[in-house]
Amino acid sequence: MSTTPTTPLTDQRTELLREVGYDDGRAGTSLLVDQQIVASESAHPDVEVLPIGQALKTYDWLQDLMFGLIDPDEDEHVQQAAELLNDPVGHFVRVREGAVVTSPIQLFSILESPQGRQFTHNVTVIEAGAQVEMISGAAVPPSVHAGHHISIDECYIREGASCRSVSIERWGANMESHGYARTHLEAGASATTTALQLAPIRHHLANSVTWVERDGRNNDRAVMLAPAGTERVVDSTVHLVGDRAGSESVTRMVSDGGVIVNTATLVGDAPGAHGFVGCDGLKLTDDGHIEAVPALRAVDPTAQLSHEASVGRIAIEKLEYLMATGLDEDAARDLIVQGFVSLELDAVPEAVAELVAETIASAKTGGM
Amino acid sequence: MLEVRSLSASAAGVDVVRSVDLTIGAGEVHVLFGPNGSGKSSLLKAIMGLSPYEVTGGDIRLFGHDVSGHAPDERAALGVGMAFQSPPNLQGVSVRSLADALGADDRLDEALTMLDLPGFDRRQVSVGFSGGEVKRWEVAKLHLQAPRLLLLDEPDSGVDLEHVAAVAVAIDRLVRDPGDGAAPRSALVVSHTGSVIEGLEVDVGHLMVGGRLLHTGDPITLFDHIRTNGYVAPEPATTTS
Ligand SMILES: Nc1ncnc2c1ncn2[C@@H]1O[C@H](COP(=O)(O)OP(=O)(O)OP(=O)(O)O)[C@@H](O)[C@H]1O
Ligand SMILES: [Mg+2]
Repeated sequence: MSTTPTTPLTDQRTELLREVGYDDGRAGTSLLVDQQIVASESAHPDVEVLPIGQALKTYDWLQDLMFGLIDPDEDEHVQQAAELLNDPVGHFVRVREGAVVTSPIQLFSILESPQGRQFTHNVTVIEAGAQVEMISGAAVPPSVHAGHHISIDECYIREGASCRSVSIERWGANMESHGYARTHLEAGASATTTALQLAPIRHHLANSVTWVERDGRNNDRAVMLAPAGTERVVDSTVHLVGDRAGSESVTRMVSDGGVIVNTATLVGDAPGAHGFVGCDGLKLTDDGHIEAVPALRAVDPTAQLSHEASVGRIAIEKLEYLMATGLDEDAARDLIVQGFVSLELDAVPEAVAELVAETIASAKTGGM
Repeated sequence: MLEVRSLSASAAGVDVVRSVDLTIGAGEVHVLFGPNGSGKSSLLKAIMGLSPYEVTGGDIRLFGHDVSGHAPDERAALGVGMAFQSPPNLQGVSVRSLADALGADDRLDEALTMLDLPGFDRRQVSVGFSGGEVKRWEVAKLHLQAPRLLLLDEPDSGVDLEHVAAVAVAIDRLVRDPGDGAAPRSALVVSHTGSVIEGLEVDVGHLMVGGRLLHTGDPITLFDHIRTNGYVAPEPATTTS
């Protein structure tokens, strides 16, 4: 089922996108270039991928889902995006009830105009009992250094559904990106997300809120690198609103002269809610800083919440152990950093496991 | 291969090695005995250029080069390698990725087989290794590096009776069978037990106490002496300091 012509997937674009997860033969594909969805197609009978504007005309229930999980007045960036509501740009993904989709659905954004501004508002609905994998990637051609990307993602994972996803971002070194993700996990639903944020970017805000209902399970992993000149601000909150809802969030941060501020809050609202927040930082140079703020709020007395945070330098003992084998200091450092960030990457969709490993392996500090 | 002259070294302001003289020629295997805390590891680490050991006097020459001020990797590049007594855990760094980084991927399987470490290529370096596995990995690691001078810090301690023979064989192969017609290798082995002198042809034995080398001589005689008399220099002492 193809809803728009696929010619916009030029060789140049697919080559760029392969580095952030693109491949042929996926269950569905969406591509946003600048301020236009240029491709949205599905190769699976239970998967729909549409431009959000078209989807709004097709399904009148969709208007209730737009801004269903986020307040249009959240902040100035969201407000700007909300002003485009009469002509929204973004993708709509729907996976039908009970479908088991083994090939991933892939969703991409490219900013091709230097200094461009990109607003995107995406809605994903994984219907009851469906199982799906998703890959989302962001990229710029080498010629684009500056620009601004603002995205809103609202994701509804219905009862008993499960979604495993990975996102890989490669924005320009001088860009700004503001991302707002809102996810609602219904009873028994599960989400496993892995985010790789390794490329330099001037300022990146990643703001997310997840609500987990009864027996639902949220699992997120994020790996971020901040070379000099990069600032990442991560603010995530998980609300365990249903009985026995669970969550595990682990973030690995590496500052190589850049700044990372990571605030991760876990709220246990319901009986038997349980969760863990882990933020580990590795600081490679004297410049820059890492701030790790894990927070727990147990509203229900039976909620079991815990956190762990650590920030430090590479132990000289480890560095020298490797140097004593003959590796020079940079190679030793890279090996340790790659080990540090690879620790939590066991849950990525198989289709991109190799790419993820390669992306990590090429995440040389300093030179990235 | 290795010439240590009047070497003194300190760690955190404490003198741990005191005017040590030690020369190891090509193809020679030396064993270093001494009680806990006598400075054996400190001496090896000072030779390797590791922190926090600071040379406060004398010098170290490796293969004819004065290595003062050389970082550990520069010393390794000259041809020295060390099996650590207690290596750090390298979380997330797989044995295979280290072998890759060393350009020794093709030798990994053989090295792991020799030390009976099947499946360890996917393990994280030293993470969760048992005491004996740590030792066997350290020797396997030296097979990947193939250094001309081996510094082995208690390669046999904590290794069970069956594997201690495998460790000795692996060390012996490293030393005696460098392959490709290369020059014979040398080794300095720290040990508390007789297993090394039983399983290896050792040429020279040293006794270290309180940071000093008190005696240098025949390794078997020295070991027997220590067994009977404790860590005191045999008479007449052929002291080197
Ligand atoms: N980094 C350090 N800081 C302080 N003291 C140290 C340091 N390293 C070694 N020492 C001290 O120097 C002395 C020699 O230590 P070393 O590890 O060389 O002993 P060793 O002969 O290898 O002992 P063992 O047989 O127990 O391995 C000990 O008293 C030890 O506590
Ligand atoms: Mg020791």
